[in-house]
Amino acid sequence: MTTLISKPEHQDREVHRVLLGKKQILVTEDEPLLPQLERAGVQVEYQCREGYCSSCMIKLLWGKVSYPVEPLAWVNSGYMLTCCAIVKSDIEIAML
Amino acid sequence: MSYSTFNRKQFDSLQQPMFFGENVNVARYDQQKHPIFEKLIEKQLSFFWRPEEVDLSNDRKDFLKLEEHEQHIFLSNLKYQTLLDSVQGRSPNVALLPIVSLPELETWIETWSFSETIHSRSYTHIIRNIVNDPTKVFDDIVVNDEIAKRAISVSKYYDDLIELVNLYNTLGLGVHKVPDRGEVVVTMKTLKKALYLTIASVNVLEAIRFYVSFACSFAFAERTLMEGNAKIIKLIARDEALHLNGTQHMLNLMMSGRDDPEMAVIAQECQQDVINIFVEAAQQEKDWAQYLFKDGSMIGLNAQILGQYVEYITNVRMQAIGLETQFATKNNPIPWINAWLVSDNVQVAPQEAEISSYLVGQIDNDLDGADFDDFDL
Repeated sequence: MTTLISKPEHQDREVHRVLLGKKQILVTEDEPLLPQLERAGVQVEYQCREGYCSSCMIKLLWGKVSYPVEPLAWVNSGYMLTCCAIVKSDIEIAML
Repeated sequence: MSYSTFNRKQFDSLQQPMFFGENVNVARYDQQKHPIFEKLIEKQLSFFWRPEEVDLSNDRKDFLKLEEHEQHIFLSNLKYQTLLDSVQGRSPNVALLPIVSLPELETWIETWSFSETIHSRSYTHIIRNIVNDPTKVFDDIVVNDEIAKRAISVSKYYDDLIELVNLYNTLGLGVHKVPDRGEVVVTMKTLKKALYLTIASVNVLEAIRFYVSFACSFAFAERTLMEGNAKIIKLIARDEALHLNGTQHMLNLMMSGRDDPEMAVIAQECQQDVINIFVEAAQQEKDWAQYLFKDGSMIGLNAQILGQYVEYITNVRMQAIGLETQFATKNNPIPWINAWLVSDNVQVAPQEAEISSYLVGQIDNDLDGADFDDFDL
């Protein structure tokens, strides 16, 4: 469930739930998914970290993500690039 | 039919397919059917680098200190990469330029191929710096059986396509009697099939075949050995990831039918062939790892781990073009490699090596504490 949290030092910001198998990780819209997954201890493949190599592509089972800048890599529907996608709702993802 | 260097016909290039439409005429980039190729050109140009910018004087000392079996690993990988980039520095031009129909794609192919020639030049730069007689290294590439096996696989599809396109451009469609080859059927279908398999094989070359070498180079650098070489390999890996994007787009565009509906049918028919190309390449790379480590492993790497990495990276690359993954390995057995493969060390810096964005004009690799003795704060 997407929730709104208030912190005195920040504006209100949305936190979304990322489901990965039995794991659940809370992420914000402040940065792409990849660094947030890494901080949560999830190993994600990556290479360029700027959207052209497609190494960080994972399955997006449901939910919404957006790309502030259109990535150069081809992204098939049902997939997402973690290095540059901002999570916009609760989502469920799957690795290889 | 016959290729013209400036097609005099008037046509709308936005209506052309990527390949086998009209020959290109005006090299214009203000309008693009597939803007991705223009973006790739710009990105590749922004990556421009020269091997001479990287100082290799420490690598020579390091190389002499390596154990004999480690020298074998290092030089064998360089030989193999030299083969791959020898092919890639010319083949996209020879095979694809005569049949390309979009100006932005034509220029991408030329830009891509040119960057491969920089890679070839950098192997000469490395080899010249670490061994006394480069000829011994280069001469072995043609006679070494282990490398020869791969040379056949990486050039076969290119050569088939080039032969068919040559016949098409001189004799047109039909069944042609070719000395020493017998009858060769040239139809739009055989041409497009040869093209599709060529692009798939090049995709595999750039997606998988380089990565065993990359892993070894970075494993040396993790031990602060051969760091100049690792810096060059890092730049090459950055380029290769971009080239990979190019062939992934070509394949995905062909499969989707958005570019040429007939190509979607061919892609469907060739799906198993493409899977086989991936699996065969993965097997060859695993065999290559065995050959590299035949006289001994190196710290942090052995043939088994590299084999798992090959399987893993093959899965990743197959997924990127919508194919079912073929191997059980779902996790990267050498995750540290990504810190070396990352485009620039902005986030995860292997602290021991220099940062590639500071390449231009960098001259000194040999700083030590004594250099700061006369500094006062």
